[in-house]
Amino acid sequence: MFMKKNETGIPLEASEKVMIVISYIIMSILALCAILPILHVLSKSFSSASAVTSGSVLFWPVDIQFETMKYVLRETTFLHALKNTLIVTFFGTIISMVVTITTAYPLSKPSFKGRKVFIMLYIISMVFFGGIVPAYMVVRTLGIMDTFAALILPFFIVHFNMFIVKNYFEGLPESIEESAKIDGASDIRILVSIVCPMSTPVLATVAMLYAVNYWNNYFHAVMYTNSTAMQTLQLFTYNTISNTQTIVERLVAGNYANVSIDGIIAAVVVLSLIPIVALYPLVQRYMVQGITIGSVKG
Amino acid sequence: MKKIFVLFLAILMIVSSLAGCGQSGTSNPSDTSTASGSTKALDGQKPELKYLGYNVSFDPNTDPLAAVYQEKTGYKVNYNVLPAENADEKLLMEVASGADYDVVQVGVSQFQTLLSQGALMPLTDLLNQYGQDVLKGVTPDSWKACSGSDGKIYGIPYKYPYPTEVVTFMVARMDLMKAAGINEIPTTIDEFYNTLVTLKKFYGDKYIIFTGPFRAASEASVNWDIPQNITSAFGIYNDWMVDENGKVYYMTEHENFPKMIEFMQKLSNEGLIDRDWAVNNTTTVNEKLSAGKAIIAASNRVGVAVTTPIMTGKDGLGLKNEDIGYIGALAGSDGSCKYMKTEAINQVTCILKSSKNAEHAVNWINIKQQNQLYLNIGVEGTHFTYDTDGSIKPINPIFAEERGNSYWYLNSTDEAEFAKQWPSRVRKSDAMWAAFDAVTNKTNKENPGIFVDNTFAFMPSLENYSKYNQSLFKSTSDFILQLIGGTKKIDSLKTFQSDWANGGGEKIRTEMKTWYDEFYGK
Repeated sequence: MFMKKNETGIPLEASEKVMIVISYIIMSILALCAILPILHVLSKSFSSASAVTSGSVLFWPVDIQFETMKYVLRETTFLHALKNTLIVTFFGTIISMVVTITTAYPLSKPSFKGRKVFIMLYIISMVFFGGIVPAYMVVRTLGIMDTFAALILPFFIVHFNMFIVKNYFEGLPESIEESAKIDGASDIRILVSIVCPMSTPVLATVAMLYAVNYWNNYFHAVMYTNSTAMQTLQLFTYNTISNTQTIVERLVAGNYANVSIDGIIAAVVVLSLIPIVALYPLVQRYMVQGITIGSVKG
Repeated sequence: MKKIFVLFLAILMIVSSLAGCGQSGTSNPSDTSTASGSTKALDGQKPELKYLGYNVSFDPNTDPLAAVYQEKTGYKVNYNVLPAENADEKLLMEVASGADYDVVQVGVSQFQTLLSQGALMPLTDLLNQYGQDVLKGVTPDSWKACSGSDGKIYGIPYKYPYPTEVVTFMVARMDLMKAAGINEIPTTIDEFYNTLVTLKKFYGDKYIIFTGPFRAASEASVNWDIPQNITSAFGIYNDWMVDENGKVYYMTEHENFPKMIEFMQKLSNEGLIDRDWAVNNTTTVNEKLSAGKAIIAASNRVGVAVTTPIMTGKDGLGLKNEDIGYIGALAGSDGSCKYMKTEAINQVTCILKSSKNAEHAVNWINIKQQNQLYLNIGVEGTHFTYDTDGSIKPINPIFAEERGNSYWYLNSTDEAEFAKQWPSRVRKSDAMWAAFDAVTNKTNKENPGIFVDNTFAFMPSLENYSKYNQSLFKSTSDFILQLIGGTKKIDSLKTFQSDWANGGGEKIRTEMKTWYDEFYGK
């Protein structure tokens, strides 16, 4: 199970073996700490109301039922909130990427006049945030309160991400772009057909960072939306957890004998985890890459 | 940081209000004086109203009730909700930046903040013109609580509809009690103690004899560590009370406070209460009761709605309805009992100065109140029937489906009528009704004298009260738990009292006394 030789082929010493065993134990405990709460919540979401309320569910469902899931999917605005979050994440990421790339590209060119001034302006606004109230006033004045635009526009460029892309563009060989220019390619053509394909790793990483930002964004949804129609998944989850009394009253009044409030909260958490859990294996590579890029060039 | 933020918003609001005041030619609909005694009809097309209310778990725009309200009132309303978290900040920000809501329903403290910032439209004249039913339905005390220092009405109150409710009670496993030879529900503190002792002798450590308190997990909630149907036996019915001489005092200053602590210590020392008393919350208490681990548990209406179906269900404990008993407000050894009326104003509906449809907003609220029975309870024969005693009995599930969420759409009520109509809403659940009938209805029939007025029911959000009371209540709760657990002795009450006074207690007392004298004209 454990390594018997190190990378150089020399057999491991006893102390090294002990350290490896300890590392495995610690890592296993940490992994369990992360997995067990999820398992507990998952079990609750599929257990009967009596099992959940009487506290007999631990890490495996008791009296398996699907009514709780059905309740969340049919009787609440979960699917609507999920749709809103997907729209914000999808379009937000696309808009952010377009803005980030088109900002980073000219700023990566030393020949761009006023480059330093623009970079300084970006740095200043990165360090000094104007504040919540002015940001709110801007959104309100633009007349985009309670719209998807309010959930995307205030967030559409993250300076840090833009600098990551800019730094990456600066590292690309100038000669390739020059040869394209000689062949008659325009700046836009060079950016779209040469620079972007050469920068796939950084662009994928930054896109993922944007997507995660949009997906997890709770604060902007709180500040810039009021109607339930614009509720995002994060807001829906928080509201469900905070409104237990209302939900209990609805349950007892309706025909949901096998659904409990704790079960509903668990089901909401499980359902909201599914998209991220499904996507994570695909983007895991970029997640790690993102951290490295940030640490070296940020 | 939060304070600075709120301060900034407050300044912003004042500036906005001043800017609003400076505009010439702005007509204030409420300035048009009238002596009319009947509601005036509004001609022309009814505009779409924009509404902001408190957070709920359903979508008020798509709930079937939205259409019912639209059909009855003729107004299309765009409903919006405040977030569950940071609602105060969001509300201030919205108002400061000139929100275009026509109607805003807020809590009492939020109303006071908006009023003090000058963001609200005076409603007296508007109510005279378009809201006669609202004016008549609300009691003078409620109006007084929603009026400004200039005597004008600035908010329409929604008062908790049923003041004489025993909100906290205990659920008892009668099957286990009977097996131990106890056939009657205890009604006094001594009977209650004897019941616990008998159960302990009979069952030993097989069951938790008495579990509680029914403490909400939320930090913001006011949680009593000793259930109020036990404190009632000691004459302690609220954290702040007023004696017959008009002296405002805190619960720890009550003469029976040491006796109450002594009683709880006795229960703790003799193993009669749950060992987890200090850390229990609603979920754990419900768990212990519905899993059959506890014989008696502190609970409330929502608690029994969760536990009773499980206790009586075939997948749960399989009990019969008669196996579940309810212990109401206990009387003291001398037979006296004090339980506070739940006579608070829950929500206040107000109209912002920026509203363009103030007349229509008041008209809309008035029409809603005219149709109070239809909108909140439904149609006789379809949604409800009348019992022989005249009380309303809902027909489920149609009542729950079509009128279940009507509480959110309420702005004002004919308070006297609604007090009669409201219990029907408890009847939508058999479990809730069983407890309500056994505790509240029984008390109202047999012992209505136990209910004590909530002296501070109409008190606005006072500065020092808002600043210190929650933390003082928390430190008092911690102190009580330490006393019950035995880590502190009752001798330390003096030290606690002095810390409490220095920690803002005296400031609150002075402030509350001033309000009390003013409000009650002492």
